[in-house]
Amino acid sequence: MSQSGPETTAAIESSADEVVPEAIRGRSPRELALIRFRRDKGSMISLGVVLLFLFVAVISPVLTKLKVFKPYTTNFPLLDIENGAIPKGNWGGISWAHPLGLTPGTGTDVLSRLMLGMTYSITIALLSAVLTVALGTALGIIAGTSGGWIDAIIGRIIDMTLSFPQTLMLLSLSSTLTVTLEQMGVPKGNFARGTYLILVLAVFGWPSFARIVRGQVLSLREREFVEAAHVFGASRWRIYFKEMLPNLWAPILVYFTLTMPAYVSAEAALSFLGVGVKTPTPTLGNTLSDSVNYYGSDLVYFFVPAVVLAAVVVSFNLLGDGLRDALDPKADR
Amino acid sequence: MFAYAVRRILIGLAMLVVMTLITFLLFMNNTTASVLASCGKNCQPEQKAIIAKTLGYDDPVYVQWGKFLKGVVAGRNFPDDPALVADHPELVAHCPAPCLGYSFKNSNFVWDVMKDAMWVSISIAVVAFAIWIIIGVLLGIIAALKRGTWIDKVIVGVTLVIFAFPTFFIGQLLYVFLAIKTGWFAIPSYTPIADGGVFTWLGGVILPAITLAVFYMAGYVRMTRAFVLETSTEDYIRTAQAKGLSARAVIGKHTFRAALTPIVTMAGMDLALVLGGAPITESVFNFNGLGKLAVTATREFDLPINIGIVVFLSAFVILANVVVDIAYAFIDPRVSVK
Amino acid sequence: MTKYRKTLAVVAAAAMGVTGLAACGGGGGGSADGAKTLHYLTFRPTEHWDPQRMYIGRDLADSSRLFYRSLVSFPVSEDPTTSVTPVPDLATDTGKASNKGKTWKFTLKDGVKWEDGKPVTCEDVKYGISRTFDLQTGGSGALTGGPNYILGYIDAPDFKGPYKADAKGQAQFDKAVVCDGATITFNFKKGWNDLPLAIASLRSFDPYRKDKDQGDKSNYQIFSNGPYKLDGAWVKEKGGTFVKNTEWDASTDTVRKQLVDKIVFTEGITNELVAQRLIASNGDDAYAVTDRSIPPSIYAQVTGDAAKRATLVDSPFTGYLLPNFKRMTNPQVRKALMLSTDRDGWAAALGGEKSAKPSSSIVNPAVAGYAPNPAFADMGNYDMAKKTLKAAGKMGYPIIFTFSGGSPTSQKAAAALKQGWEKGGFKVSLNELTDTYYTEVQKPNLKTDVVWGGWGADWPSISTVIPPLFDSRLNISKTSNGQDYGNFVDPKANKMFDAANAAPLEEQPAMWAAVDKYLGEQTAYIPLDVTQFYMMHGSKVTNYMQTAASNMYPDLGAIGVE
Repeated sequence: MSQSGPETTAAIESSADEVVPEAIRGRSPRELALIRFRRDKGSMISLGVVLLFLFVAVISPVLTKLKVFKPYTTNFPLLDIENGAIPKGNWGGISWAHPLGLTPGTGTDVLSRLMLGMTYSITIALLSAVLTVALGTALGIIAGTSGGWIDAIIGRIIDMTLSFPQTLMLLSLSSTLTVTLEQMGVPKGNFARGTYLILVLAVFGWPSFARIVRGQVLSLREREFVEAAHVFGASRWRIYFKEMLPNLWAPILVYFTLTMPAYVSAEAALSFLGVGVKTPTPTLGNTLSDSVNYYGSDLVYFFVPAVVLAAVVVSFNLLGDGLRDALDPKADR
Repeated sequence: MFAYAVRRILIGLAMLVVMTLITFLLFMNNTTASVLASCGKNCQPEQKAIIAKTLGYDDPVYVQWGKFLKGVVAGRNFPDDPALVADHPELVAHCPAPCLGYSFKNSNFVWDVMKDAMWVSISIAVVAFAIWIIIGVLLGIIAALKRGTWIDKVIVGVTLVIFAFPTFFIGQLLYVFLAIKTGWFAIPSYTPIADGGVFTWLGGVILPAITLAVFYMAGYVRMTRAFVLETSTEDYIRTAQAKGLSARAVIGKHTFRAALTPIVTMAGMDLALVLGGAPITESVFNFNGLGKLAVTATREFDLPINIGIVVFLSAFVILANVVVDIAYAFIDPRVSVK
Repeated sequence: MTKYRKTLAVVAAAAMGVTGLAACGGGGGGSADGAKTLHYLTFRPTEHWDPQRMYIGRDLADSSRLFYRSLVSFPVSEDPTTSVTPVPDLATDTGKASNKGKTWKFTLKDGVKWEDGKPVTCEDVKYGISRTFDLQTGGSGALTGGPNYILGYIDAPDFKGPYKADAKGQAQFDKAVVCDGATITFNFKKGWNDLPLAIASLRSFDPYRKDKDQGDKSNYQIFSNGPYKLDGAWVKEKGGTFVKNTEWDASTDTVRKQLVDKIVFTEGITNELVAQRLIASNGDDAYAVTDRSIPPSIYAQVTGDAAKRATLVDSPFTGYLLPNFKRMTNPQVRKALMLSTDRDGWAAALGGEKSAKPSSSIVNPAVAGYAPNPAFADMGNYDMAKKTLKAAGKMGYPIIFTFSGGSPTSQKAAAALKQGWEKGGFKVSLNELTDTYYTEVQKPNLKTDVVWGGWGADWPSISTVIPPLFDSRLNISKTSNGQDYGNFVDPKANKMFDAANAAPLEEQPAMWAAVDKYLGEQTAYIPLDVTQFYMMHGSKVTNYMQTAASNMYPDLGAIGVE
């Protein structure tokens, strides 16, 4: 599967050993990282692009509500119905009113569908990544701090979850579990399908991160401040989350940033296999799995959704890399 | 030492059992669609009841799970009907242990269906693996050597961008333009080596293999590049350079060797992953591997196939972990003490 | 550095070498080994090759042409009437009916053999027919999927098929189906006047060799008595290869020929790629046909030489709407709904004339007795719809439309209908179902006012269109409405069905037309479209035709290769 591709996990693990760099006089590690990040042009550009995409994701539903955008409005007169309903004209129906052309078959505006699609795709990826990181952090901290049988059980759960073939599980559970979700009262149709994606991506995503966090915690556990907390009789939960958590923000941030694009890709891949949110609700994935069939008749529509999806994935990946490099000076050339 | 091995094996077995139970609970929580998919055009309630019974869904999930485990250990009959065994033994399929079930959509044992599919997946995986390792590592080394130049930027940039396009997009592009439109490649299809020789086999799997390879390649380029850069700053490399060894010798003998270990580790994990089937690539190119089998089974609600594939692949991972752990313990006795 | 360059060059060269070889290997064409080979490319896998379990138009037709002979069969002909007029096949004539169609006699020809050289006997036919009874409650449950019409004609309530038969049931069946030498006699409990049509269209009356029967295990085994036999195994999602059957004797068969040496079926190729490959028509693909319509995304590429190889025909399938009689009880409201239904907009939204053609009846024009239903002459008259609705005092009547969606095409088609209905004064909400469509629409208490449905006749007679969809006795039970999604219950209509079914074959078309008209007056359904087949075949395929006999799919009884 495209998510948590090889280089993400590997990269995280290598950075994990070095997350808390030795402080240089006068500047906190955080400040140093920030300086390093700012100095890197590529990272700053990718940050800008990511922020732009996030901005689009936020305003698109508003613009749709205000009817500035009409991602659902069909435009049959602009289509060549007898010729497979591809847009009339040479460039996939590009015009001032439709800067990226029209969707063959329906004549809906491609730009507005992609922008609203970004909202849905990013929302799914974001919620799923938050859940992944939250679960991974919580269970990783608990396992690492407690040790003993709690650690052993969490370790086995992690092993077990990782032993399942992830992509196949996401695919083959989709129909039965979506129905089950609907029976549990989740609104039918796309809402249930989206919920399924979010939950199941997270369920299969957290264990890798929990392992990383556990490793971090094990090394932190020996530090003075944790022992001090023990001595002062701090409760277990306080140690888990008041003492440990602030020291884990670097791997959390990096992992989160790299998980986002992986989940955006995963949504697209699963859409192609018929899993996930379906039209008319646009997502980057379902738009792309429709557009791949138009290589012969509408090249604009064939390439535009693919390029937009790739741009989202690349910018998030570059941002994640930049963050990792900034937070981990040793990997910095 | 011995005690450790035994304990590790027992834990492994317990995990296997729990894993199959979880799989059953997940897949069997809703069998309505599966019954309907087998029912045909005139599906009346009586028909549904008969089919549910034939498929074995009329039992509670834990009973079905128990029968499944029994099948794995001792084999089982399909249909499981003693009267039929007595009257018409020719109608009853005996599935020998280890039995993973019977697919009524394939009219065949799950294992027999999977066995054929496995070779297809293995073929794509092995060729893809060769492509991405060779080209990925080469490009990574070149990028590292040319660090900072446009060559470096192009290599890293292009692989990163290709990686960002979904597999089905790349696959469709290759299929349509390289095989159909231009005819440069044969229409991808799987011919076993035994039937058509190595070249026909390779010619048939090359496009799906490339599709799968470009997805993994980016990771290897970046990793090789990073490790080569990292190790080239290590003291012993500098020493070698100071000794007056040529750049080529340093890279070949020292840098590359040091970078190799983590790459091999990662390659092993990725290979294991793609051996389990590549649903998207296999679907695009119509290769009947484990991945496409799962896609079809999902579409047709062929639950026994879905369960069979999941159980088989998970069991493989769990057992491999046990073997690796015990092997480590033999090599390094400190492990078992811990 | 040079070392790496060299390696790269070697890798590149190796890749090129592979490419070249691959291109050679694929270039051999349909006669690579000297054998004339026809290829059949498709996406949809065959679910059953077991004659008694088959129910897909394509498979019924293909198997009849290649390897399963029936008592009577359809001849190879492009003439729409000849094509669906049964001719003798295994039997010496098209059957002798007596006792108002309750008794039928067929006598088997001499010299027809199975692929192992043994003769096809009356007992084989009888055994084949008995297998459908496995579907009765108490059967083994192995032989699912096939049509079950015969259960309604043979009075053997205790017969549970060959695997689970007890003495009592067997005796009932033996009384109904009698073998006397080479003559098989059917004693039905009611008249079955179009029986030859059923035999020629379905495979459920085909002979089956008892010693080859392994229940579900033999689902993909093909034991041929026709001109071709399976070479090796049939693998689902992959396909199989058929070669000439040497035991087939052309002198016993007036329908089939051995036009090619080999026929190779390949399953699982997406519709888009099938179309692409046939348009390009390279290598083996030049010798290929398909049952898949060209998807709209490919239409623009059908130009030049490819355009000459594209065919556009009416399919045997129709689309229609069923008003829910449980909720829409006012006949004037149903009428207004019908009047404001935009079937032209619907057909245009489905992709225009290459995908769908507006229709005037639930009956497909290819079915004998089809006549445009006068009740639907005014469809698309929104003023009239408005007036009707106003007169009923129901302006702004809210309706829920349930349809099988999940694709942009179905959504825009639904949107077209919605627009029309709103012009007619209705308030419309859409209930789009995807995976759950079939389960949902069969629920008797589904909250919906109008449902989309699609149907194709099982044999070219209205008796396989209207009763299966509207006879409440066949469809309605406590938990399901069967195919009667509109919950239409009308004793008068049921009586008309019985009368038409019992009438002699020549009188039936007129009677069915009257039934159709009656249903139209009740607005029991609203016709939408006739699905179109827009198909492509390779450039080296000869005598290509799609006939009514093969359900408008490529007729493998006629097609050869260069």
